[in-house]
Amino acid sequence: MKRLAIAATTLLAVIGSARADSVLVLNSEEASYSILSRAGRTELQRLPVGREPHHLIPTPDGKEVLIGSTATNELLSLDSKTGERRRVVSNIIDPYQLGFSGDGKWFVTVAYRLDHVDIFHADGFKLAGRIFIDGLPSHMAFDAESKTVFVSLQQSGRLAAFDLATQTLKWNVPVGNTPAGVLMLPDNKRVLVALTGEDGVVVVDPSDGKVTGRLQTGKGAHNFWPKGDGRHWFLSNRVEGTVSMVDTQDMRVAGTIKVAGGPDCMDITADGKELWVTQRFLRRVAVVDLEQMKVVASIPVGKSPHGVFMLKSGPAAPASPLSPAGGPLRAVSTGSGTTR
Amino acid sequence: MGELTDLWVGTQNWIFETFVGPVIFWLGQMAWYEPAYSAVEFFMLGVVQIAVIALGMRFFERRWPLEKTGNDRLIGVDRVYTVLNKLGILPLAIFVITYPISQEIELLMRSWGLAPPRLERLLPWLGDNVLASFLVYFVLYDFAAYWLHRAQHAIPWWWALHSLHHSQRRMTVWSDDRNHVLDDFLITLALVLFSQMVGVQPGEYVSILMVGRLVESWSHANVDMSFGKIGERLLVGPRFHRLHHALANPDERHIHDHNFAPVFPIWDILFGTAIYDGKNRPTGVDDPVIDADNGRGWVVQQVTVFGRFLKAITPRFLRAPFQPGLRPPAE
Repeated sequence: MKRLAIAATTLLAVIGSARADSVLVLNSEEASYSILSRAGRTELQRLPVGREPHHLIPTPDGKEVLIGSTATNELLSLDSKTGERRRVVSNIIDPYQLGFSGDGKWFVTVAYRLDHVDIFHADGFKLAGRIFIDGLPSHMAFDAESKTVFVSLQQSGRLAAFDLATQTLKWNVPVGNTPAGVLMLPDNKRVLVALTGEDGVVVVDPSDGKVTGRLQTGKGAHNFWPKGDGRHWFLSNRVEGTVSMVDTQDMRVAGTIKVAGGPDCMDITADGKELWVTQRFLRRVAVVDLEQMKVVASIPVGKSPHGVFMLKSGPAAPASPLSPAGGPLRAVSTGSGTTR
Repeated sequence: MGELTDLWVGTQNWIFETFVGPVIFWLGQMAWYEPAYSAVEFFMLGVVQIAVIALGMRFFERRWPLEKTGNDRLIGVDRVYTVLNKLGILPLAIFVITYPISQEIELLMRSWGLAPPRLERLLPWLGDNVLASFLVYFVLYDFAAYWLHRAQHAIPWWWALHSLHHSQRRMTVWSDDRNHVLDDFLITLALVLFSQMVGVQPGEYVSILMVGRLVESWSHANVDMSFGKIGERLLVGPRFHRLHHALANPDERHIHDHNFAPVFPIWDILFGTAIYDGKNRPTGVDDPVIDADNGRGWVVQQVTVFGRFLKAITPRFLRAPFQPGLRPPAE
C-alpha cells in the first residue's frame, strides 16, 4: 500500500512538473485539445473543446490562449500557463484564423468558409466592421504600425489588404495558386505569402500588392513561424513533407527538415532548441531538434492536429516583428462578442 | 491499440502521399487536399468491411444458412453494389453532389449566427467520455435513420426507389448496399444534415458509418442465428431484419412495415412497429413489376427503377389507371 502511495505521488509529481512545461495541440477533427509533456514526449491529457478547433493565439498580455471553435462560433479561452479553461467568448462567427494587431488594439478573425473578415476592437471583442470578400480568406499578417491587415484568399489566389481603422479594402491582387501563410517582415517593406498550390513563396510590396520576388521552398508551401532571431522563419511545405528554414535577409533556403504527414502549424520552445510541428495526416506532433535539424520524436495525439502552442512560453508579443500577427493566425467572426 | 492506429494512419498517409496528394496538387485543387485525405480513409474502411463480410460473415452463412436452397445467381448483382459502395465509388459521386448542398445550408445557418449545438454543452460529462459520446451520437443518428426508413416506405415515389432494396428474393450479407443511387443520395443528404445539426464530429461520423454499416450487413445475413431474447431487443440481428424484408402474404399484407430500425430495435419497440415472432419467411416484394428486378444487372436495375420513380412523381391524371409497382406496402 505504501509502495502504491509512493508510486502515485511520483506519478502526480511527474505530471505536475510536465504540465509546467507543456504543449497544447488542437485536434481539429475530434473537437478536443491535447496537453503534451515537452520533457516526457507524451500526451498527458485530452480534453473536449468546442467543435472544429483549428487555430489559437495568445492574448496581448500573454495570460490567455484563445482557441477558435469554428463551428460553434466561439472563442474558448485557456490559461496560457496551465491550459485550464477560463471563459468563452460567443458570437464570433466562424473563427478560423485569429490575430491581434501589434499595438494590441485590433483583433481580427477570418471566416474561411463564410468569406468574410471581421475586425474587432480587441478590448471587449466589439465588432468594428465586417468585410465580405470571395475566395476563402485564410491567413493574415499585420503591418508594423497596426494600420493594415493582409489576408490571403486561398480559392481566388489573391492577397487583400484592409485598413484597420476604416475597415475598408485597400487593394486585392493576384499572387499565385492557393496562397496561405502571410508574413510581414521586420523591415515592414516586404510581405511573404506561401503558395500552397505551388512550391514556394512570393514577396509582395505592402504598399500596392505588387509581386516583387519569388523563392522556391517545397511543394505545398503553407505556413510560417519565426525562429526568433529576426532573420529566419520556418515554413511548412505540406505536400513536400518538409519544413524549410528561410533566411529572409538573403532570401534563400538556409536549411530543410524532413517532416512527414502534411506538416502544418508550428511553435518553438522558449530556449529555441526545438520546433514542434503538427503532422496533420499522421495524428502526431513532430519534435524537431534545431541543432541537428531533424525530427527526434513524434508524439501521438488526436485526429488532424492543427494549431500548436507552448504553454508557459511567456507573454506573447503580437506587436513583435518576429511573430507574424503575434502568432498563429486564422479564424472568422461575426457580431460583437459577448463573454461568459 | 497505439500500434494499430499507427499502422492504419501510416497506410492511409502512404496511399495519400503516393497516389492521391500529388494528383490533387497537380490539378491545382489544394482546397480539396483535406477532404481527399478523408476519402482515402473511407476507401480503406471499405476494404476492411468487404473483408469482414467476405471472410467473416460469409463463414456463418455457409455454416448455418437459414434458407438452404435458392437461386444463388441472384446474389451476384448485390456484390457489385457492395463493392461500388464500400470502396467509395458511388459515395464519392454522391459526396460531390451532397457536399456543396450541405455546406451551403450549414453556412447559411452559421451566417445567421445559428451555430450547430454540441450535446456536450448540455451534458458536459459526455465530453470526457469518448465511448459514451460515440454511443449517444450513434443512437441519435440511428433515430434519424429509423424515421427516414419509414419515409422510404410511406412516400410512393420514395418507395418506387427503395423497393429495389426489397426486391431481392435471395437476401444475404451482400444485400445491404443494394440501393438506387438516387435513394442513396437522398438518405446521405438527410443524414449528413442531421449530423451537422446535432453536432456529430467528422471523426465520429466515420466511426458511426463504419460500425452501423457492418451491423446492417450482418442483419441481412442468411443465417439461422439470434442474439438471444434480450440481445435481439438491443441490437438488430438477421432474424429481426429478415421480417422487414418478408414477402407479403394474404394474412400479412403489411409485413414490410415492421422492424424498420437499422441498428437499435428500441425505435420499433417504442413506436409500435416491432414484431418478434421467430417465424422464418421468404423475402421479396409481392409485385411483379418490382420482383422483375431479380435477375437484372446493376445498370438495368438503376435505369428501370429510375423509370418507376419517374412514373411515381408523374401527376396522377397523366398516369395510366393501374400502375403496378407504385404501391407502398402500407396502403
